[in-house]
Amino acid sequence: MKNPLLILCLFLLPLLLGGCFDQKELEEQAFIVSIGVDNTNQKGVFRFTFQIANPEVGNSASGTSANEPTQEVISVLGTDFLTATNAANATVAKQISLNQSRILIVSEKLARSTDFIYLMQSAPSTVDIKLNAQLVVSKEDAEKYIRHNKPQLESRPHKYYQYMLDRAKETGIIPDAPIVRYFQITEGDADLFIAPYTTTEEENPKFGEEDHYKAGEIPVNGKNQTQFMGSAVFKEGQMIGTLTGEETRFCLMFDSTLTQKDIIASYTDPVKPEFQVAGRLEINNVDVNVNYLKDKQSTIDVYVNYSLNVYAIPSTVNYMKNTEKQRLLEKSINKQIGERADNFIKKTQEEYRAQPFYWSLHVRSKFLNIPEYEKADWMNKVYPNAKVNIHLELRGLEFGKIMRESEIKEVRD
Amino acid sequence: MELLKKPLRARELVAIVFMIIGLKGGDTTPALFADEAQNALWLSPIISFLVILPPFLTLMYLLKKYKTKNLAELIKHLLGTRVGTILGILLFISAFISMATDMRNIVEEINYLYFPDSPTTVIYAAFLFICLYVANKGLDTIGSLAWAILPVIAVTILSVMFVDLQDSVWQRLFPIFGSGASVVIKDGISLSSVFLEFFLLTIMYQAFQDTRKFRIGIGIGGILSAMLIVSFYAVYTMVFDYNTIDNIAYLYQESTEVIPLGHFFTNISTIFMVGWLFSNFLRFAIFLYIVCWLYGALFQIKRFKGLLVPIGFLAMIISLIPPNFIVNELMVRKTSLHWISPIYLCFPFILWAASYWKERRKQ
Repeated sequence: MKNPLLILCLFLLPLLLGGCFDQKELEEQAFIVSIGVDNTNQKGVFRFTFQIANPEVGNSASGTSANEPTQEVISVLGTDFLTATNAANATVAKQISLNQSRILIVSEKLARSTDFIYLMQSAPSTVDIKLNAQLVVSKEDAEKYIRHNKPQLESRPHKYYQYMLDRAKETGIIPDAPIVRYFQITEGDADLFIAPYTTTEEENPKFGEEDHYKAGEIPVNGKNQTQFMGSAVFKEGQMIGTLTGEETRFCLMFDSTLTQKDIIASYTDPVKPEFQVAGRLEINNVDVNVNYLKDKQSTIDVYVNYSLNVYAIPSTVNYMKNTEKQRLLEKSINKQIGERADNFIKKTQEEYRAQPFYWSLHVRSKFLNIPEYEKADWMNKVYPNAKVNIHLELRGLEFGKIMRESEIKEVRD
Repeated sequence: MELLKKPLRARELVAIVFMIIGLKGGDTTPALFADEAQNALWLSPIISFLVILPPFLTLMYLLKKYKTKNLAELIKHLLGTRVGTILGILLFISAFISMATDMRNIVEEINYLYFPDSPTTVIYAAFLFICLYVANKGLDTIGSLAWAILPVIAVTILSVMFVDLQDSVWQRLFPIFGSGASVVIKDGISLSSVFLEFFLLTIMYQAFQDTRKFRIGIGIGGILSAMLIVSFYAVYTMVFDYNTIDNIAYLYQESTEVIPLGHFFTNISTIFMVGWLFSNFLRFAIFLYIVCWLYGALFQIKRFKGLLVPIGFLAMIISLIPPNFIVNELMVRKTSLHWISPIYLCFPFILWAASYWKERRKQ
């Protein structure tokens, strides 16, 4: 009792227990790996599907729980994310935690409805949902999609989505679409947002060039039919159409804010047109130049600089040693890409009347303040009427590790 | 009031200035600037610093001229006890309100982002307890603590910067003047008292072995803080777009939250919480200490440490009045700053006029 101050301090110590208000053991939480949302007949009410991971399976320390399933899928009705997790607690014993979910799947039907933007509006104010989670559009109902999706090699569902999305993004057939980008582009009101398109249902599969598909059209034989291919296009927060894998690649190619690592694609052989030349395309640099003219047609110049690594020349034309033929190949590939790109740009100008390349960024520096910029109306007035010139430049043509193609004719003799 | 010990050196002041002003890059202040200026929120602080500079230099000139006085003594000496005390009380009240609103914002931020289930009052009490404990240790402890923690904070800041730059697009800085040059300038001037701590810090003028060190410290610290604030605000603009930025309350945390580092480190925001929390404890310990010092100097209370608890507690009670964070930030704080700015921008010139008049009378 000598030091009253010390005693006072001891009385204040329990204050530090304030940190325990939010204490939550790992075991008490159910981690949701993916969220699926569908619309219902009732306006403003959605069906939420939660895929809950079982952290005890696939873990090296697991001994006793080997027979448990890897995941549980439940679906409930709700008006927003938080109320839905609450409703789900009717069947799930643990507290539902959304902060590990890396993917938000919405059905095409919901994405195309006007309700969608109201649903999304509740996402950023939900603390649990991380805004870097990916927004994905499924062709069928999201609930069906999650229940059908049975990856064969990745027993842990969170890894499956992570790897699948990362790999598909690297090849450029689907875009990178974190939820925050949806908001940036929708609120910016000048560009189109694109999100990965996926399905578990195969529908009239046919063979085409490697990226001329949308999800569901790729002929795959295997147990798991899930496909990620192409993208869903959103205008003003609402889905308006779908793009093929190739069109998605153009979106990524012309967008200076995105990176893509490699595109493996094939082009018609200029010497023997019945054959294809396959190679890996690398985009080095994209430069967009907008020449904005008030009340006149603006011009947009896009400079793309890429290099090509040719892997397969089935026609056995000897491009390696012949610089003239190389130049021919270069010209031909430039022309092929250019034509397809021009067609795609025409489509965006005429069909969507807006572009998914985030080019509005490049016109901004022409304005001093936001009111002026918004008055110019990039989305509705400038872009649909603009003249777009694509300048492709091939820098560096490589042929892999083989010096020359073998002479098949001589072999067949 | 004569300080017997003069414990501080320039480097401690650099650290203190950095804590108390530079950290406004990471609290809710950017949301305040973004509210009207949108993507030009990084230009407004530049205007603020430019506006603050002349009165601040005037004050420094006066302090240099009357060698042995600190802020409170200078005011009383030049304006007489009565008028000087009134002005001093005005300064104190403004600083007190600014501290209270800032503190509420920080507590709300901790509450909302890291401890969503805890009651605000409990977090507030814990927060205040730590601040009081640190402040109670005295100026030399605060100074060396600030200097000691500085590396942690520098590492945090640099890594946040690195992470944010992964996902930033510089074209988002355009259109350069945001919602209009006039809005930017108006905001910059009317909200310039966000940085009123510059003036308050001059209460420490006599706590240095040599007053030259104070000038060096506040100069370097001020420039570093200004650079930090402007670059952080610019990065926020580059990460979020102009329409999204004025919707987000906690830009610092949110910016680290939306960016994944590769596919392994996806939720990295909590890593940056440690340094942020440390620095905010210290920031308010310093702020509280300075505000109490000002009060003590005004009313000749030599052992002003006894004021820490009542003033801190009062600030807590008052700042809990606004019902929520948005009212606190965009109405209470904004309105109070509009009123405070003219006081802080004018008083050095009043002092200077008084000094000039006094000299003429002497002749």
